[in-house]
Amino acid sequence: MTALLVVKGLTRYFGGLAAVTGLHFEVNEGEIFGIIGPNGAGKTTAFSMIAGSLPPSAGSILFRGKEIAAWPSHRIVHLGICRTHQIPRPFTGMTVYENVEVGFRYGGRRSASRGPVAAGIERLLEFTDLSPWVHTPAGALPTGNRKRLELARALATDPVLLLCDEICGGLNPAETQAMLALVRRLRDAGITILYIEHDMRAVMGTCDRILVLNYGEKLAEGTPHEIQHDDAVIEAYLGRRALARPAGGLEGRV
Amino acid sequence: MNAIASPCSATNRLPAGVAALTLMALLLVPHVGLPGNVIRLLLVTLLWVATSLAWNLLGGVAGQVSFGFAVFYGLGAYAAAFAINGGIHPYVAFAVGGLVATLGSILIGIPTFRLRGPYFAIATIGVNEAVRIVMSNLEITGGASGYRLLMTGRFSQGEHYYTALGMATLAFLASWYVMRSPFGLALRAIREDQDAAADLGVHPFRCKLTVHALSACLTGMAGGAFARYVAYIHPDGVFSFATSISILLMSVIGGLGTLPGPVIGAVVYSIVQEEMAVNFPQFHLLLYGALLILIVLFEPGGLVGLAKRIARGVRGRLTGGPGEPTAARVPLPKVES
Amino acid sequence: MGLADLLNLLASAVLLAGIYTAMSIGMTVIYGVMKMVNLAHAGFMMLGAYFAYEVSQRTPIHPLLAAVLAAPLFFLLGVAVYWSMLRRVPVADEPTLPSLLLLFGLWLVLQNIGYAIWGADDRSILTPLTMATFRFGAITIPIIRLIVFGIALLSLVSLHVFLTRTWFGRAVRALTQNREAGQLAGIDTRRMAMLAFGLGIAFTGLAGALLATLYSFTPDFGGSFMLRAFVIIVLGGLESFSGVAIGAIIVALIETFSILVVPASYQLAISFILLVVALLVLPGGIEGLLQRRRLLQ
Repeated sequence: MTALLVVKGLTRYFGGLAAVTGLHFEVNEGEIFGIIGPNGAGKTTAFSMIAGSLPPSAGSILFRGKEIAAWPSHRIVHLGICRTHQIPRPFTGMTVYENVEVGFRYGGRRSASRGPVAAGIERLLEFTDLSPWVHTPAGALPTGNRKRLELARALATDPVLLLCDEICGGLNPAETQAMLALVRRLRDAGITILYIEHDMRAVMGTCDRILVLNYGEKLAEGTPHEIQHDDAVIEAYLGRRALARPAGGLEGRV
Repeated sequence: MNAIASPCSATNRLPAGVAALTLMALLLVPHVGLPGNVIRLLLVTLLWVATSLAWNLLGGVAGQVSFGFAVFYGLGAYAAAFAINGGIHPYVAFAVGGLVATLGSILIGIPTFRLRGPYFAIATIGVNEAVRIVMSNLEITGGASGYRLLMTGRFSQGEHYYTALGMATLAFLASWYVMRSPFGLALRAIREDQDAAADLGVHPFRCKLTVHALSACLTGMAGGAFARYVAYIHPDGVFSFATSISILLMSVIGGLGTLPGPVIGAVVYSIVQEEMAVNFPQFHLLLYGALLILIVLFEPGGLVGLAKRIARGVRGRLTGGPGEPTAARVPLPKVES
Repeated sequence: MGLADLLNLLASAVLLAGIYTAMSIGMTVIYGVMKMVNLAHAGFMMLGAYFAYEVSQRTPIHPLLAAVLAAPLFFLLGVAVYWSMLRRVPVADEPTLPSLLLLFGLWLVLQNIGYAIWGADDRSILTPLTMATFRFGAITIPIIRLIVFGIALLSLVSLHVFLTRTWFGRAVRALTQNREAGQLAGIDTRRMAMLAFGLGIAFTGLAGALLATLYSFTPDFGGSFMLRAFVIIVLGGLESFSGVAIGAIIVALIETFSILVVPASYQLAISFILLVVALLVLPGGIEGLLQRRRLLQ
């Protein structure tokens, strides 16, 4: 498997506080790679650095072998990496159609040609179940739809690597399942997905591999099964006493 | 920083028919025997229309509110005046004015567009004032006593009028085009949320510089036309903070970010200026200040916003239901404010 | 250029810095708590100037005393303005266009009120002190500048005590650093905004009255000072109270000593250029506070 994204020694300080320290991991093409960890573990910070929203204090980020650390986000989008935001940031005064249109027209990778704009946008809206709201101002959308709009916009940039930041946050179980199904369809369509999530059940069922962060550092990395039985992870999530219990790990508890 | 009005590409709200009819009516003006001072008023108004439409592209559509836009008006005025006095044909001179303003916009934009919203606004005040002071002290342009144009050719009022009309039409068409184009889409995205726009591939710095250049060019040309018309310019007129504020005011009063807004605002402003100069010369600051306050507190969409609100209320009463605009399918996506 | 001349310039600069600090601190208080740039600052300075003028003309009260009296009155004025207009403007973590336009509109209205009441003629406040000077070795200082400096210094000291020793003052500092945290801690941000605006206007009115004893004025008085205040607080780091003093010293020094290099009429242009440079080059002001704000791309 080819490593699409290689992150080495990624570090970010805010004043004196280290949000992320010495992060190493690789994401392979075609996989769904999850990043989990308690609040404040540095997940979104790491994301922001990969996506170009935030420059790293140190470290390297290689995309298809190319160093992209500290690149501005619009350049990174043109390479094929796009992110969604944890708290959706729709262009509230513009319609759903126009929101997606921005991504479609400006995010496309230079090499690809994408056919007529209107058709492409409508296809994306259908895929994300936003067609009924095509001409609604984005500001009028409820949260669930705003999350889907985030996804639609990001997809409009024709990404190779999609960074999803808590895309199921605030969704009810049914909506969550629908969203996860979407994510899996995207992977099946050839998009590699880097996925931050808080909801452990969602993550365990969807991701091929998982990285666990704690206090800005890597705690563990592996398949869902490996993670659920990793001592360090169990300790971080359930406390030291859980380690003393007989085997069972984290299944069913999270 | 959000514009105080939700944006609307009111482009397809304004029936092209109305615009065309207005243009035709305006074309006929010098031939219908209107008194000279009415034509003068129309002429000055048209120059304001051009300038405020230009400013609106930067401040309304792209959301970069400049409080010092007179700097481009002045640069265009002086550059054109220089050129005319140097023997260059006026129309070429106007283009020179536009070009100088454009170059100025790049020089000014490169440092100032690294700033956001209000800090950008304050920086533009600083730039404007700095240029005004320098121009007031520069010998070669006449310093504070101003610069006089040598009338190498007499121009009829009609000719001045048509020049102004041409400028206004050009600015209108440019605005109309930008607002419907993908570029306009990018500008609006920048205004809504610059970082989110960048996260989708928009290049904010380049877009801002581009629209700045376009706005400056149109304004510079209008400044040149103004210089030729008045034949005497001085720094405290064309570079003044009052001029910058007037330009800003016109778009805010009319409707920031819309297409008809700056036009309506310029017309209202001109008429009020005329009236006030005659009857209440000492109250125009009060009027503009009060207008700004009222607009911010009660109708951020300006006159266009007010009209829409009334229209929605009327529609609601006629249909007997809530006056919400329907999401009808139109060739270009529609945005309601 | 003799040593005596240099010392005199230095003395001038120091005195000017004190006045500039007092003038700018009002804007800092308002910005810190409300995150609004007070574009009406000049208007309130102007009102302070005319207040001192009227009081000193019509009563036996000395203009400098009138300036001190202005402070509590302008506090009330600020509260009234907040109550009638500003509280309707939504707050944000950064200045918004509505707040800018509103305060700017207010400035226009205040100017017009000034013109309506006092006309456009130059006014000045003359006292027996105006021409008197104080000699300290080779340095000659106009006494009135010294007194104005003294009052400004006193007011700054009292502000410092207020900010550090009283509950209200600590709440102001808390809100300035982190509004959300302040709210969570139970501070009533609306009421604080009102009081902070009042406090800011009190200082602004006082500064205007003090400056009126040094310069002549018309209803558009204060515009150039307001822009200087922008430079100062940006240099000092928009929310830093001690940074204002640093910014004021820098601006005062540059302005005073620039006379040696450029004609006096360019002084203001230098301030403006300094403003743009300050906005660009000093992401944190001298105190580095702007790091947390997305001020620069």
